[in-house]
Amino acid sequence: MSGETVKLISAEGFEFVIDKKAACVSKTIHNMLTSPGSFAEREHGEVTFPEISTTILEKICQYFHWSLQYASHRCAYLCKLHLSVPSGKETEFHIEPELTLELMMAANYLHT
Amino acid sequence: MGGACSRKRDPQVNEESLHRGVSGRFCKTGSLKWLGRSSSRASVDVKPGQGRCTSLMELCILKICEDINQYTSLSMLPRDISQQVFDELVYSQRLNDIILETFRDCALEDLNLGDYPGFNDRWMEVISSQGPSLLSVDLSGSGVSDSLLVQLKDCENLQALNFNYCDQITDCGLKYISGFLRLTTLSLRRNSSLTAQGMSALSKLVNLVKLDVERCPKIHGGLAHLKGLTKLEYLNLNCCNCVEDADMNDISGLANLKSLHISSSMVTDDGVSFLKALKKLTLLNMEGCPVTSACLESLSALGALLYLNVSRCRFTDDGCDKFAGLKSLKVLNLAFNDEITDAILVHLRGMTSLETLNLDSCRISDEGMENLAVLYCLKHLELSDTNIGNNGLQHISGLGNLESLNLSFTVVTDGGLRKLSGLSSLKFLNLDSRHITDNGLASLTNLTGLTHLDLFGARITDSGTKHLRCFKNLRSLEICGGLLTDYGVRNIKDLTSLTVLNLSQNYQLTDRSLEFISGLTQLVSLNLSNSRITSGGLRHLKTLKKLKSLTLESCKVTANDIKNLQSTALRELVSFRPQ
Repeated sequence: MSGETVKLISAEGFEFVIDKKAACVSKTIHNMLTSPGSFAEREHGEVTFPEISTTILEKICQYFHWSLQYASHRCAYLCKLHLSVPSGKETEFHIEPELTLELMMAANYLHT
Repeated sequence: MGGACSRKRDPQVNEESLHRGVSGRFCKTGSLKWLGRSSSRASVDVKPGQGRCTSLMELCILKICEDINQYTSLSMLPRDISQQVFDELVYSQRLNDIILETFRDCALEDLNLGDYPGFNDRWMEVISSQGPSLLSVDLSGSGVSDSLLVQLKDCENLQALNFNYCDQITDCGLKYISGFLRLTTLSLRRNSSLTAQGMSALSKLVNLVKLDVERCPKIHGGLAHLKGLTKLEYLNLNCCNCVEDADMNDISGLANLKSLHISSSMVTDDGVSFLKALKKLTLLNMEGCPVTSACLESLSALGALLYLNVSRCRFTDDGCDKFAGLKSLKVLNLAFNDEITDAILVHLRGMTSLETLNLDSCRISDEGMENLAVLYCLKHLELSDTNIGNNGLQHISGLGNLESLNLSFTVVTDGGLRKLSGLSSLKFLNLDSRHITDNGLASLTNLTGLTHLDLFGARITDSGTKHLRCFKNLRSLEICGGLLTDYGVRNIKDLTSLTVLNLSQNYQLTDRSLEFISGLTQLVSLNLSNSRITSGGLRHLKTLKKLKSLTLESCKVTANDIKNLQSTALRELVSFRPQ
């Protein structure tokens, strides 16, 4: 597996290279990259999603990063490092209404 | 997440009367019922900024609910997802005729619409459109009628039906219900139309495990039709004032019965004798029944019995020696049997598994208390309104597992409280009594695990409040003895875990107190009635974003003042006074 990044490939063949840690926000992807049964995924650090369109996969990758960022802010806060925790709009993850249904199906599949 | 996790079909069993005691017989704080919702949030349970990160699934569900008017149908969604959207709409009270239509033919499994406002005939069409997928329906308090029940006929897999407070369901409706042969749970509370004849329809429901007909006043004789329901484990006949001894005979063969509620019925000792064959019975609630200590002989045959509630019955000392046969009991409620005296406590000595004991308003005193000293498993002890004094406390000072203790309206004084200082497991302590003062509080300061402290009528002054600083874990505090001023409230401001605060009746408190309280951001309920609080001070409460209940009776505050606060800052507020 190449370093700490993984490649997520959409139905149309678009490739998203993201931090493995971010991708593993999805329990499904985490399992694919670690379980003994998923040899190809583990070996190459690549996962193909024939059912997820590029637009949706991009949105999901954005969520992964948003989620990590959120977690790190929480952590910093809890550790009382007195870093400013973004508030209000900054912490919201925006979802376009026209994407919601498809995104929700994908989120359900990815256990995210 | 996951739809399967969102299913809650069990009836809301209220066993509060069994365990009742230390957490407060009377809700002095006011409006606490609002602190918990009757409908539990099934799926989406967090908002950004409240602990763990919101999942993408949860965000999508919230988004769909927000834009729900833009969707005409959600039937293309997998059932478990549409179920979560539905549950969220119910929780957030956004469901109406039009939105409900969106869920037609969604193959939903659970429609928990108990006490949901706005039910009408059209709802039933959508409900029945779920067809064989539908497993549970709760339409409690809805006004659903017999004729609408017919529409459910295609929902042949129904397992749970809750039609509590549905007065328009009659015996005829029960006939339709009897067609659901897979039914395991049926709840028909407070229905004055159901009769014994109607109950005959239930004889077909051989898979029934739970049946709740609480407050159905005409079902006497109807229990005979339950004889074949051998899977029945839970039967609630509370407040069926028509139920009498013969009815107990009718259910005596239900060998799998584990939980039987007959409180406030007419069952006497003779009726209880029919229950001897219920060898699996673990819970028996007979609160308010005309039974005496003589029934203990029958109860001794119930080897599995763990929970027994005989509060407000006609128990006397005579015959109480038979308590010796109930050694396995974990919970015993003897409250309000005011002829019971110290003499019976000796018979409780052998109940070494006892975890909860309620002796509220029994005629007991220090003399009998030594018998409780060996009940090392005791976690909850209710001694309110008894003659227990300082000497009696000596005997419970070694009960290290005690988590809650109610000494309200006893004759315990400050001098006795130091005997409690070793009870390090204590979380709930009720000292609502005029005999308790600052000095008593001072001797409790090492009880740092306390989460609930009730000093409602105690004579606590500003000087005494400095001891409260030791109770950092306090979530609920009541001090209403009338002696506090703003200086005292200053000592409360650091108790940041508080969710419930009642400082009513302290007529000297001013808006300055609200300044101190403004930092208690976890508060869910606040009561400052009968004080000098004015509308001008309300601005200090804007920080209390979690506040659901605010009571400011007899203050210089109007309902409109509070409504303004509600609309601008306190969105969670659901109950307030003045109204």
